[in-house]
Amino acid sequence: MELKICHMYPDVLNLYGDRGNILCLRQRLGWRGIEAEVTELPIGEQASLADFDLIFIGGGQDFEQEALLADLHRGKDASLRSAIEDGVALLAICGGYQMLGNYYETAEGKRCDFIGAIDFHTVGSEPRMIGNYLFRCGDKSGGSTVVGFENHSGKTRLGPGVEPLGWVISGHGNNGEDGTEGVRYRNVFGTYSHGPLLPKNPAFCDFLLQTALARKYGSAELAPLDDAAELAAHDEMVKRLQV
Amino acid sequence: MSVKTILAVGLCKGLHLAARLLHRGGTAMPGSRALKLCPDLPARLAKGVEILVITGTNGKTTSSRIAEQALRDAGLDVLANRSGANLLSGITTELALNSSLTGHCKKKYAVIECDEAAARTALGLLKPKAVLVTNLFRDQLDRYGEVTHTLRNIREGLEKTPETVLCLNADCSLTASLAGDLPNPVVWYGMDKSAADPAAKPSQLSDASRCIRCKTEYEYDYVTYGHLGGFRCPKCGYSRPAADVAVTAIEELGADGSLARVRVDGEERRLSVNLPALYNIYNAVGVLAAVRQLGVSTEDALHAAATFRCGFGRMEKFDLGAGGTRVMLVKNPAGCNQVLRFLSSLPEELELAILLNDNDADGTDISWIWDVDFELLPGFGDRLKKVIVSGKRAADLAVRLKYAGLAAEKVEAEPSYDALAERLGKAQVPVYVMPTYTALLDFRPQLIKRCGGADFWEG
Repeated sequence: MELKICHMYPDVLNLYGDRGNILCLRQRLGWRGIEAEVTELPIGEQASLADFDLIFIGGGQDFEQEALLADLHRGKDASLRSAIEDGVALLAICGGYQMLGNYYETAEGKRCDFIGAIDFHTVGSEPRMIGNYLFRCGDKSGGSTVVGFENHSGKTRLGPGVEPLGWVISGHGNNGEDGTEGVRYRNVFGTYSHGPLLPKNPAFCDFLLQTALARKYGSAELAPLDDAAELAAHDEMVKRLQV
Repeated sequence: MSVKTILAVGLCKGLHLAARLLHRGGTAMPGSRALKLCPDLPARLAKGVEILVITGTNGKTTSSRIAEQALRDAGLDVLANRSGANLLSGITTELALNSSLTGHCKKKYAVIECDEAAARTALGLLKPKAVLVTNLFRDQLDRYGEVTHTLRNIREGLEKTPETVLCLNADCSLTASLAGDLPNPVVWYGMDKSAADPAAKPSQLSDASRCIRCKTEYEYDYVTYGHLGGFRCPKCGYSRPAADVAVTAIEELGADGSLARVRVDGEERRLSVNLPALYNIYNAVGVLAAVRQLGVSTEDALHAAATFRCGFGRMEKFDLGAGGTRVMLVKNPAGCNQVLRFLSSLPEELELAILLNDNDADGTDISWIWDVDFELLPGFGDRLKKVIVSGKRAADLAVRLKYAGLAAEKVEAEPSYDALAERLGKAQVPVYVMPTYTALLDFRPQLIKRCGGADFWEG
């Protein structure tokens, strides 16, 4: 078995430890004897995104956003939308997550159009939502608890009928108001849990891998791994946040 | 003479004395209270003092120690905020303690280490003779925000002191951009192509891969480390300025220090740096460029680089364990990668202890450990005996090392600092400790207890 993984914009969406997710996907496949072929897709290069089994998009800084959007609107947006409709598994984090929605509106009312693959939008606000946080995935996303770190000023509102990835137990999530965190659509998993989300949430990582493998091979049972180290890090943060 | 000054200085001295009697550091709190009483106190106390301010992401403390030594070697009477309290509060405390009650500073010269965010207000108040900006890297994003915000803070500070000489790292595209729209005189320092490793390539995880002016991807003639090197924007032409003080060759990168050649005033000189690793050569030449602005001779500056002692977690040595224990503070991916690269260049067997905290002063977001090249560690082979993880986020560190491919039997957790120090004392090979800032504050007393040494506020 093999998964073709695309790392979109590793050159600009790499703000803090995003590559930890690629490393995690690769290792957890490798430990089970499944091949992973990772293709990097930086600004300026094109690829047919529907040919991949799993796509990862990380978070970035405002500084590069302009260059990124210009590149996105040169064809990657349409390619990404059709990959999503095709059911390619996609993990999008923080800035990469916001990008899948309709638009971002700054606190001053300036609107920036995104790719509109999923019906949601984000509005800039103060103060920033920063810190460790905890949420539980919905049943369609495996139902596991996820610990992460969020750092965003945008408040995301999901459109009518659009499902969140999960529900906030501690922290802010999409907007700090309606209890939702991230988005779940077809095989897309969008979240504010930035940087190295997967290594300390092995159950969520495996659910993502299973989703991609099931689409490609019909069904996929992943052999269990010794996750003692991962779960120790996970549980310690759960304990800290639930006090 | 102003009553407000007298009250503020008196308050500062009194609170400091009280803190010392209670065995607290008392480095920031007195200044903080005095500033509430007299917000422009630093400006009042800085009058008539020739000041060198040192700021930037990495290398502030080491550079400050070399600069202070250089001024002393030159026979100048100098004060310095040695304790590492580098916010406006700590700077104010240091100035007040060196002043008469009427606000007259007893020292003619000052070397002030200044936090990057604090530079915004501190520079206008201090009106320094010279400012040394060492470099800018991504650092504690939860606290500082994007690196361009940090750059803006420093620029806004410099705008309030147009006569200050800027000593800027020419190899850092972010730092060098400060010169663009400021009227200040500039002295450039850096490493020339002849000193760079021709095999070094810009990393994809570069903290500044795109032009700060027009956002086009940079091209590089050479790279020294991180995003530092001979950068050039193919679109707008922004490029590395020629360095006035330039490293032209690196002759030796040893375990205890380095040897290099440096060009000053068109003349080649031998530079010996009494701390190992490439980044400390940068610190030494930055200081060389800067202290000359305060009238220190090249000879005195070179002598200081060859003989200074930094201490406090900057390659600080302790006589613990059969091979000794060395402590190297790590704060961000750029600095941590440099430490790992240094360790990978050593021939000897070693044990490593990494202490990761996520308190406010460390940065509460530890995502950065995934941008560190811990993948280098498996490559150490049998030479690396053990990696002990400790600190509040030791469990996350263990996960990071697992995914870096380090064999599980080489990784051990030791949550107790007391037990960790005991353990290191029994090590048969040299030990290197890599703590984050608050882990250093917490763990260092365990080393002092066993080996002796100064409390942190004594430097």
